[in-house]
Amino acid sequence: MLLGPAVVTTAEAQTPKRGGTLRVAYGNEILGMDFYTTPGYEMVWVATNVGCGLVSMTPDGKFIPDAAESWQVSPDGLLYTFKLRKNVLFHDGTKVDAAAVKFTFDFVLDPANRANMRQFLGAVHSVEVVDPHTVQIRLKQPYAFMMHVLAIYRMGMIIISPTVTHKYSPEERRAGKPEALVGCGPFRLVEWVKGTHLVMDRFDKYFEPGLPYLDRVVIRAIKDPVTQMAAFKAGEIDFIADFSADHVDTLRAQSPRAQIMTGKETTPMVAMMKVTVPADGKPLSKDRAPHAIFNDIRVRKAVACYGMDRKEIVKIAYKGQATPWLGIIPPGTVDTVDVNHMCPYDPAKAKALLAEAGYGPQKPLTFELMTNTEKSVFSVIATVIKEQMSRIGVTANIRLVDKPSWMVTSTQDGPFDMYVEDLASLLTVDQNSYLSATTAAWNHSRHTDTRIDDFYTRYAREMDPVKRKAIARELQEYSADKLYWNTISGSPFYQAAQPWMKDYVYQAEFKVIYKKVWLGK
Amino acid sequence: MRTYILKRLLQIIPTILGITFVVFVMMRSIPGDPVVSLLGDAYTEENAIKARQDYGLDKPVLLQYVIWLGKLAQGDWGASILSGRPVLKDVLVRLPVTLELIVLSMAVALAIAIPAAIIGALRQNTWADYTATSVAMVGVSVPEFFLGVLLLLVFSIGMGGALPSSGWVYLPGTCQTVVCAASLWGNTQHVLMPALALGVGRAALLTRLLRASMLEVIRTEYVTTARAKGLSERPVILKHALKNALIPTVTVMGLQVGFLIGGAIVVETLFAMPGLGTFGIDAIIARDYQQVQGFALITALAFVFINLIVDLTYTFLDPRIRYS
Repeated sequence: MLLGPAVVTTAEAQTPKRGGTLRVAYGNEILGMDFYTTPGYEMVWVATNVGCGLVSMTPDGKFIPDAAESWQVSPDGLLYTFKLRKNVLFHDGTKVDAAAVKFTFDFVLDPANRANMRQFLGAVHSVEVVDPHTVQIRLKQPYAFMMHVLAIYRMGMIIISPTVTHKYSPEERRAGKPEALVGCGPFRLVEWVKGTHLVMDRFDKYFEPGLPYLDRVVIRAIKDPVTQMAAFKAGEIDFIADFSADHVDTLRAQSPRAQIMTGKETTPMVAMMKVTVPADGKPLSKDRAPHAIFNDIRVRKAVACYGMDRKEIVKIAYKGQATPWLGIIPPGTVDTVDVNHMCPYDPAKAKALLAEAGYGPQKPLTFELMTNTEKSVFSVIATVIKEQMSRIGVTANIRLVDKPSWMVTSTQDGPFDMYVEDLASLLTVDQNSYLSATTAAWNHSRHTDTRIDDFYTRYAREMDPVKRKAIARELQEYSADKLYWNTISGSPFYQAAQPWMKDYVYQAEFKVIYKKVWLGK
Repeated sequence: MRTYILKRLLQIIPTILGITFVVFVMMRSIPGDPVVSLLGDAYTEENAIKARQDYGLDKPVLLQYVIWLGKLAQGDWGASILSGRPVLKDVLVRLPVTLELIVLSMAVALAIAIPAAIIGALRQNTWADYTATSVAMVGVSVPEFFLGVLLLLVFSIGMGGALPSSGWVYLPGTCQTVVCAASLWGNTQHVLMPALALGVGRAALLTRLLRASMLEVIRTEYVTTARAKGLSERPVILKHALKNALIPTVTVMGLQVGFLIGGAIVVETLFAMPGLGTFGIDAIIARDYQQVQGFALITALAFVFINLIVDLTYTFLDPRIRYS
């Protein structure tokens, strides 16, 4: 993984100063605090500071020790052995040992706990304690991304305390009761009051000597970008963890000394088309029927391939600050391939394909384009698409809904023709299998092509990176040809730090870690 | 008087039942499902069914309402579906913020409206009157968010952070969390712009209303009599005219509380304040049914109680009014 053209770090290396409070603004509320069940990056960005895992990952894709000091992978790729550090403590003072690691895996794998990391552990056969400081993970089949799962997929496998997990209920964890959320990370949770603030203090017995530097981190949600900018300019906040792409130029002009960080996009902006619908009318039914419009590959290609000008969309919606993209994997993801040449903007060809599919002046094509109010850019993109559709004689009627309505419609197989959204950030091609394989709950197009699944399976099991890259290319070309998944561009991600915030390492949405951050003021 | 208050308090029960029931049914009628938000990327059909059972969302709506009501009768406002946090606890944390905002914005409104209305009425059809009514018209026309952004641009960005752009510092003694900032000066700095943003629009409305009442009152015989008795202009205006002219204004002030709560949602979001407005809007957006019910309940209670206080104020303003 390489996030952007270079690894972005705030300020130059100087001698770190200890102490101080880092004031952080999030663009969205933290929804809940249970590490393994609460959705949203905001919680993940807290969990990765409160918790620790076996391993972590650097922005350039290297795995580095966390609670495990070393590890070995058997030649057949089926057995992972981790040696734990001896000085790792949970915040309640109890030791992090092999039993705690095994407990964590067993907890996540138990369907009753509804852990969102469970979906990534399909390859795990068992986890065994060898001795108090050695743990082994045995896989059913080789899985090239096991280390990614442990280090960074979603939030990585954060080790949880068996004692505390037994003692407190899931509701208490979700509600952010500090005693129920005992981790082994650099900061301990002091208080979370939803909608007000979250406070983390330095854990003095953190296993990395001298870290963290900060005494305290205070996080609060400031949703309005104008207010974020005002607070930033006035020096009321030190760091904006997720800043609106629309306002970056204004922020730069207002606060010229701000450190604005970004990288190659790892989130896809999509115009997803529904390919099948439930034949029996029951949402999520396995009995599928073709979607009236977009099941026809000629229509998909006319509308989303030749009829959609991605460069124009990016120019208008992102002022050119995103990458026009067709591939199923965003431009910043490992093994991504530029397949834009497969869909050159060609309205004449689009019209010809539509005519072939039976659409034309006598029978004009009309479809519904759903978008939601979460980000203003969605509506802008939808409007540009509507305009581009009119150029090929197609009417796109925009339906603006709020985020929960979109989520219900898309996730629960509700009626839609096309929607505009940016979906989850993707570190690897493998991660997208959880969104686009036929079996994935988030397969919003509801395509039924199992060749896509085969690509993902082969990719995940191939241990040779060169061969894996070739499979990734095949998948992306096949996907661009079939257009079950229609990417428009990457969705840029920005963070902004005050000039005095030092040694923060940008890792896009994947990790927001404060343990090496210090304040030089 | 006691009987009247008791009667009014009893009337609160059907009002609250009506409001909470309507909100309860409406929230479940609009598209969206808290379970989808709750499960996020762990969403599967099986998990969704289990979660709905866990939160009783699989039961008929009427039964869900009865269960909610039963718990409420025992002082249990339920817990947020998404965060698991007790609703009452979060409401109590946020209530002081919104109460203070509403009270101060009303104070801002009155501080502007009373002098402007008096000047406008006493100097009718002069430049002072035209200025007051024109400013009032502009005030009514400017939405809270626009004025809020202007204030932010001037006082937070333009004047180098003269006033804080966001967040909250509690009044001493009102903070109910472990970690919180509390100071009178800090609180004043934080509430000033939001109170202005919310209060100016109300000031404009009250100015126009009060000016009209004043114009009517200063032409009445008892005002003429007061002047004929040789009273100076100040007591005539403040004691005789204004006090009577305030009666319709006070009625409108009570009704304005609903608008202020609505306006608080916008202003609190803009200034990132941890009040009830943001609590309510977040709950509605996330379809967090329990939290929405908590918001509806506290809003209805506030509205009913403030209007009760308004009604009781009449007896002070006009001793002829007696409740029995």
